[in-house]
Amino acid sequence: MNFEGRKIFIIFFIVATSIIYSVKLFHMQVIDNTWSERAAFISETRREIIPPRGVMFDRNGKKVVSNSPYYDLRFIEKNIVDLDTQALAKLLQVHDTFIRYRFDEIVKQQGIYKGKSNYQKAREYTFIQGITKEEIARIAPELYRFPGFYEVATSMRNYLYPNGANILGYIAEVDKEKVDNDPYYRSGDFIGKAGLERFYEEELRGQKGIKYLLRNAANNTIQSFDEGRMDTMAIQGKNLTLSIDIDLQAYGEQLMKNKLGCIVAIEPATGEILALVSSPSYDPNLLVGRQNISANYPKLLLDPYMPLFPRPTQAEYPPGSVFKLIQALIAMQEGVITANTGFPCTSSIVGCHGHAPAGNVSSAVKVSCNPYFYYTTKKIIEQGKKKSIFEDAAEGLAIWERYMHSFGLGVKLETDIYGIRPGLIPNPAFYDRWYGKNGWAFKTIRSIAIGQGEVKLTPLQMANVAAVIANRGWFITPHCVKSIGDDGPHPEYLIKNKTMVDSVHFAPVIDGMRRVIEEPGGTGKNAKVPGITVCGKTGTVENPHGKDHSVFIAFAPMDNPQIAIAVFTENAGFGGTWSAPITSLMIEFYLKREISDKAKEQRILDAVILPTLKKK
Amino acid sequence: MRKDQNIAQQTDFLLLGIYLLMVVFGIVNIHSASNASFDVSIFDIGNNTGKQIMWFGFSLFIGLIIMVFDLKLVRASIYPAYLVVLVLLVAVLFMPPINGQKSWFGVGSFGIQPAEFAKITTALVLADYISKINVKLQNIQSVIFANMIILLPGILILLQPDAGTLVVFTAFLFVMYREGITYDPIIVRIINSYPGVRIKNTWIGSNFIPILFVVVILSLLTLTIRESEIFVPFTLIPLRGKFIIVAFIGVVFILYYLIIQRLVGKRDRPKILALGLVSGLLLSLLVLGVDYGFENLKEHQKDRIELALGLEEDPHGRDYNRYRAMSAVGSGGFSGKGYHNATVASPVLNHVPEQETDFIFCTLSEEWGFLGSFGLVIIFSVFLIRIIIIAERQKSTFSRVYAYSVAMVLFYHFAINIGMNIGLAPVIGIPLPFFSYGGSSLLSFSVMFFILLKLDSERGNMLVGE
Repeated sequence: MNFEGRKIFIIFFIVATSIIYSVKLFHMQVIDNTWSERAAFISETRREIIPPRGVMFDRNGKKVVSNSPYYDLRFIEKNIVDLDTQALAKLLQVHDTFIRYRFDEIVKQQGIYKGKSNYQKAREYTFIQGITKEEIARIAPELYRFPGFYEVATSMRNYLYPNGANILGYIAEVDKEKVDNDPYYRSGDFIGKAGLERFYEEELRGQKGIKYLLRNAANNTIQSFDEGRMDTMAIQGKNLTLSIDIDLQAYGEQLMKNKLGCIVAIEPATGEILALVSSPSYDPNLLVGRQNISANYPKLLLDPYMPLFPRPTQAEYPPGSVFKLIQALIAMQEGVITANTGFPCTSSIVGCHGHAPAGNVSSAVKVSCNPYFYYTTKKIIEQGKKKSIFEDAAEGLAIWERYMHSFGLGVKLETDIYGIRPGLIPNPAFYDRWYGKNGWAFKTIRSIAIGQGEVKLTPLQMANVAAVIANRGWFITPHCVKSIGDDGPHPEYLIKNKTMVDSVHFAPVIDGMRRVIEEPGGTGKNAKVPGITVCGKTGTVENPHGKDHSVFIAFAPMDNPQIAIAVFTENAGFGGTWSAPITSLMIEFYLKREISDKAKEQRILDAVILPTLKKK
Repeated sequence: MRKDQNIAQQTDFLLLGIYLLMVVFGIVNIHSASNASFDVSIFDIGNNTGKQIMWFGFSLFIGLIIMVFDLKLVRASIYPAYLVVLVLLVAVLFMPPINGQKSWFGVGSFGIQPAEFAKITTALVLADYISKINVKLQNIQSVIFANMIILLPGILILLQPDAGTLVVFTAFLFVMYREGITYDPIIVRIINSYPGVRIKNTWIGSNFIPILFVVVILSLLTLTIRESEIFVPFTLIPLRGKFIIVAFIGVVFILYYLIIQRLVGKRDRPKILALGLVSGLLLSLLVLGVDYGFENLKEHQKDRIELALGLEEDPHGRDYNRYRAMSAVGSGGFSGKGYHNATVASPVLNHVPEQETDFIFCTLSEEWGFLGSFGLVIIFSVFLIRIIIIAERQKSTFSRVYAYSVAMVLFYHFAINIGMNIGLAPVIGIPLPFFSYGGSSLLSFSVMFFILLKLDSERGNMLVGE
């Protein structure tokens, strides 16, 4: 048989394939333009332009946070030729092994997709971030020896005062999880990690701009893509005007030096936080840039006095005697006592200090009579509405809890600093869990009467209590930012929160607070400020772990309150001894900008009140 | 002396010329695909260009030896060579895998792929076997044995696993088709084993290979362009996936009809038209069936097939490797962006993977445009047809079978490699002969080519080498 005819089939296949391919090629390359557009899209390079972050000013217009120029050292691996790692390490003043380590780290950071690394040799990566102007002046002239490496100008945070670190927070390189979940961020971008930098991240970061560039074979930029029509401008982040008075803040930090604790000062009429001192504090510039963060963050984190712990918003302390003010207010509103109700100082029930029995609310506040407020609170909790003392206490406590919530206690006081704690106001369910339903009565829980036991407040909440009293019954949620750009604060910081206590009931309490400071026998004489009527209340918090904590809350002046303040000094003993004078110094500094009693100031500045730490 | 003159006179210089042209043009392209600029010396052995030039020199040297060699020795060493390659194919399975394939014997940056040489030894053994007097591809034993010759290295290559090279081995089916292979004895025997049935032959058995080929190609094409959409020329009617192919079959049938009207006598027309119509309908049904079947697969099965066809997504999610390759080709325009000026298939930006090996056509098309890519298609087609003409002029069956093997293997590489660059074939990683970077590939194709040239130069001898 002859099968020569079958060659026709084979030749047909070859010719047909060639014709189909030629037609397809002609269509793709000559007729159809879409492939060229796609090619341009592929070879175009998106360069993100990161705008400078918003700047922060204090309430008096002083610049607190700005940006200053820094440099990044970047590289493209494809362009690296014969890298002398030793010479590079010497130039960058790092250890020899760092160079290799950093390369590996960058590759690792890019992650892996389907078994292959996302790292690309032709891409730009940041080798070292946050090089100062002085350093780059030394490094840049030598970079010609290391092809593939080049410097890029960027900006970094510059904190003009060494204060307010716990308020301002810091920015750091965004973590991988965020990059994966938020398309705005790319590996190497900076993001607010704490404080206002974190809370106002979206306002401060602005809007990235995007520039599209076409590149040629050698990776040189040849032109802007599509004549820049697709480019977008970077928009600078909004500036923030803080409610903080940076001088007051600095003064507060100075006073709290060598002490643990905090100061929270609020302008009662607006809820604006004037100072928010957390002690010990640290210079926010310690956490600027990659190197600083990696060098200083662990140190701060491991410091036994916990400087990174934002005490004003996150520390929860029993409030001690300052809590008595609220008990009196609630009792009067509930009608279980009047302003003129008197109770005996029965120190067999609760310990007290020697003083004349209090015949009315004002006097009771002045002398801080423990039994008086035991009876007062008993009247709130045991209103006699139910036969069983257990059910009666449960109902009374539920009412009490609602009052407390209306003061912003036991709930998160939604301030604009990232990370806040609600404190603790126990409710019936809380005690049921401990003692079982109907397993507790007022006697079981009596220590809440004087702000001990289960009750816990953050210092911010304590200051807010002072603000509520100063306002005679309402508050605006405390906040640190007066205005975002020129738009005013977040709208929620314009809302007046009414407490459940009518303003008429505040007069006797305020009068008592005045007498605390001004009358002989008052517990807070050390808080006196010449020429200003200060109203305050001491607190001494029993501390099972060591020396008692010292608390003082106050507002001034009495009739036109400009400042409400809470001072909490850990392990400092009686409230009147330490926290009261610190309060008076803060009030005087804020209202007069000068201190009359230099000796008092010096005594505070010199004091070292640090607990001895148990060694682990 | 007389013999050498003979070789020189009888050598097909057209074929040799095209070979040299292709390799040189290939090296020129490799230089652009591997280096950002002209600055790199082409003789730098550390560089892809230098290495390829070295391999080219080595290939020419081996080619020269083949040309002056006595063919008797060649034929004597066919079976030992086939066995050695089989042993190497087994041995390579114990090598550390590279990119998940155990297919390389590596020495430093140089590597050898035994599968490349398996193509040559298989072609030679097949040629030798078919040329035996007692072998007839219509006998069941011969058919089975011939298929075994291909299957043995084929299975070993599949174990690597190197699906691309295995596909190329099916090229030998066409060689056997040309030699008149029929699977009828097997099919007839199976059918006749049914009691009471007695048939002598079927049309399917003797045309099994082209039918299989058409079915496979159409199925793959259906899956490959499932997601594509084009517009009917001069209208706004969109055609998607399978319907592009069905429409294409329709157009072919209309052309077929017109040709039949003109060329075939009235008496035979209905029969031939019916044959075309039935084939067209069956093929359309096949296309729709494959698409329907694929739609109804489970998601992970679909994924696996798409992975095998190279439709898998690339690490950056937005598009496909194939899409990138097509963008590079398509952006070349009529006359290209110029040598060393590719922006997509650029060695620096790395938008196209493997662009100096499997995707070398991208660089060529982007930099030389339609003129370059069309030129390459023409040169390759001329080369292939020339080999078939040479095959047909051989007096010895051995030489003819070998020449057809060369033609079909090269055709497979050509069709699949360029097809995957322009979106008409699945992404199977096989090189473009004489163009792709790689010493193993260049050397093996050159050896294959020079053996053909040698056989052709002695075509006057009826029993070459025996």
